[in-house]
Amino acid sequence: MRRAGARAVLAAAIALAGVPRPAVADPLRLRADALASTASPAGLLVLDAGGALRPGLSAEAVVWLASERAPGEDTAGDVLVIAVRGQTRSGRIGVRAGRFVSALGALRPAHVDGGALRLRLPRGLDVEAVAGVPVEPGLATGRGWDWLAGARLARRIGDGGSAGIAYVQRRDAGRLALEELGADAGLALTARHDLGARAAYDLAHPGLAEVALTASYRRRAARAELYALHRAASHLLPATSLFSVLGDVPSERAGAVITWRAAPRLDAIADLGGRRIDAARGLELALRARLRLDDRGASALSGELRRSGVAQDGTAWSGARATARIALPRALAIAAELELVAPDRDRGRGALWPWGLLAVSWERAGWQAAAAVEASASPEYRSRVDVLAQLGRRWSAP
Amino acid sequence: MRAAATAALAASAASAASRRLGRRLASYAALAALAALAACAGILGLRRDAPEHFPHRAHVVAGVSCTRCHAGLDAPGPGLHLPDAATCTDGCHGRPHDARPCTGCHVSERTVAALADARAHLRFDHVRHAAIAKGNCMHCHDGVAAGAAQLRPPMATCFRCHGEAQAARTCGTCHKDLEEEGALPASHLAHDGDWLREHGARAASSGDLCEACHRESYCAGCHGRTAPVIGAALRRADPTRASVHRAGFAARHALEARADPGACTTCHAPDRCASCHAARGVGAGAGARGNPHPAGWVGLDNRHGREARRDPAACASCHGGAGEALCVGCHRVGGIGGSPHPPGWSSRQPLTAMPCRMCHPLGAAR
Repeated sequence: MRRAGARAVLAAAIALAGVPRPAVADPLRLRADALASTASPAGLLVLDAGGALRPGLSAEAVVWLASERAPGEDTAGDVLVIAVRGQTRSGRIGVRAGRFVSALGALRPAHVDGGALRLRLPRGLDVEAVAGVPVEPGLATGRGWDWLAGARLARRIGDGGSAGIAYVQRRDAGRLALEELGADAGLALTARHDLGARAAYDLAHPGLAEVALTASYRRRAARAELYALHRAASHLLPATSLFSVLGDVPSERAGAVITWRAAPRLDAIADLGGRRIDAARGLELALRARLRLDDRGASALSGELRRSGVAQDGTAWSGARATARIALPRALAIAAELELVAPDRDRGRGALWPWGLLAVSWERAGWQAAAAVEASASPEYRSRVDVLAQLGRRWSAP
Repeated sequence: MRAAATAALAASAASAASRRLGRRLASYAALAALAALAACAGILGLRRDAPEHFPHRAHVVAGVSCTRCHAGLDAPGPGLHLPDAATCTDGCHGRPHDARPCTGCHVSERTVAALADARAHLRFDHVRHAAIAKGNCMHCHDGVAAGAAQLRPPMATCFRCHGEAQAARTCGTCHKDLEEEGALPASHLAHDGDWLREHGARAASSGDLCEACHRESYCAGCHGRTAPVIGAALRRADPTRASVHRAGFAARHALEARADPGACTTCHAPDRCASCHAARGVGAGAGARGNPHPAGWVGLDNRHGREARRDPAACASCHGGAGEALCVGCHRVGGIGGSPHPPGWSSRQPLTAMPCRMCHPLGAAR
């Protein structure tokens, strides 16, 4: 079965590769990626097509076929996206229909089969509405809810801002599975200052589900950002789940990120913050640097040091990561990546979890090919080596 | 007395020698740092072999018209209209100091590459615009006279005439394919910093702006329920691309999930953990290699209760659906487990609805 699937993937990839490629780019596109690996899924073919049929009308589809089922899945192929999008010439009315990810302001994104409408009204007002049924992998029966309906009303603020409120309701066999109210705002105060905020409130079990705040300031080669996150995991579950009655014990995270272009080709990023879950507290620290070896960044080196988790819970770990990508002649490139993770408490699962990758890639005239060897040790495996191969082809037509 | 003075003098001399040595070493270190910086200046991009931008202003001041050098602007075509060496030497720079092409040294390769990128990705016709501007190039390229480094007009200049495209966010008026172009927005939505964490707060209020560049599959690659693998798995050869599951995520995912309750369920269905663990024979369940709960999990110290309150989604990943009946065995009304609700608990659900009726048969509210 596996061999037959792999043959099918290979045959499809070869057949697709034989299609002549038009010289002019856009607006119709087709991309095929075939991935083979010694890790599951062993073979995968992803087809991605899209384009504008005429001005204001576009379509997109992404489908995949695996040579075997991935762990926990009951299907070896599915549709990720298949959607048609239309818009009037003025852009005042826009519609989407098909399978897509619905994101209404501050409310959680949902993958649905359905439709969405957007209206641009006078006085900078925007109205969005969406309705659909949830997407489930294959023929799964574990559907958490039957349908969803929601809407968002927003007001544009100048050229660089918007604020809105959104409401969504999900029902499962007529029972309320989720009811949320969201508020969002994004604003470019000046050319250097900007703010973003979103908050979701659970109306079924009253309480804040998620809040995210970010404010940044940019000056010359530096950017500073302050952020804060609040999430109550119990509110992320369907209201019909027994675990949603355990009350609010939110997790919180706050910190600052400094991004500095130290030299035209050298970026440095420092992220210092803290997290709190109930009474436990932890430090979050990440230091990253990236050096581009040429003006276009085709070759680059990067390094990262990270400290994360909550020591009291045994989730704290420290890690280091280094990467290199070197562009070679004849459209070739080699890439290497090494990560070392040391958990504070190994619990008999290893004191150091190394992970490494060595890859060679080639890209020319719509073709893309890569081969990689990945080696690692983890709590699950004392050692493991996987080999990956990828072949991609892209066509476009005017 | 003399011996003490001699010793003091010796100590002083030693101290002075030490200071001199220190200063000398510091000088050497500074020189070495400068030498290293000079050696690395090219790598860091501090030293360039050619000026970043061509000295347009000097030519304008000298009275050279734009079309004198940029010939062919009045004919449609995909060319960049850059002058060749013959154009430069014809009547002006009659004695070139070098046999190499002028643009190889007098403007950087990056600038020319950026120009080619723009030409490939923008719908633009100089012929039509030249007619509207009545041949005045500076109608759009107004940075020439000021000696600005970047001469390609910013979008704000385009919007002086194409305001309707800005209002309707019909980026396709000028951009052929923003996703392929890979141009980051010049506005407040520049994707710098930790964009993986930041994008949710930004996209909440600017979803339609995101759609200008990103197609449906971009969001669905992570937030879609039917994604076969995350996008990073298809980009092994580019380790500099950010991804929440990059590198050895499989090894550390348990630590990351427990340190950030609910983070996984913002993209994955709660039952995703259980199905994968069951397939691999890891954790709880039939044929599993081990129970994920430590000894004394359900006992007098109520550890499982505390952990469940902190991350109920983690419990639901294994014990959801029919598995919830496990809890009700003890936590029903009158059961030995007592009430799982915290003080002040309230809900809009009627007691006869799920999940209340699992513990409150017949709507008993005790």
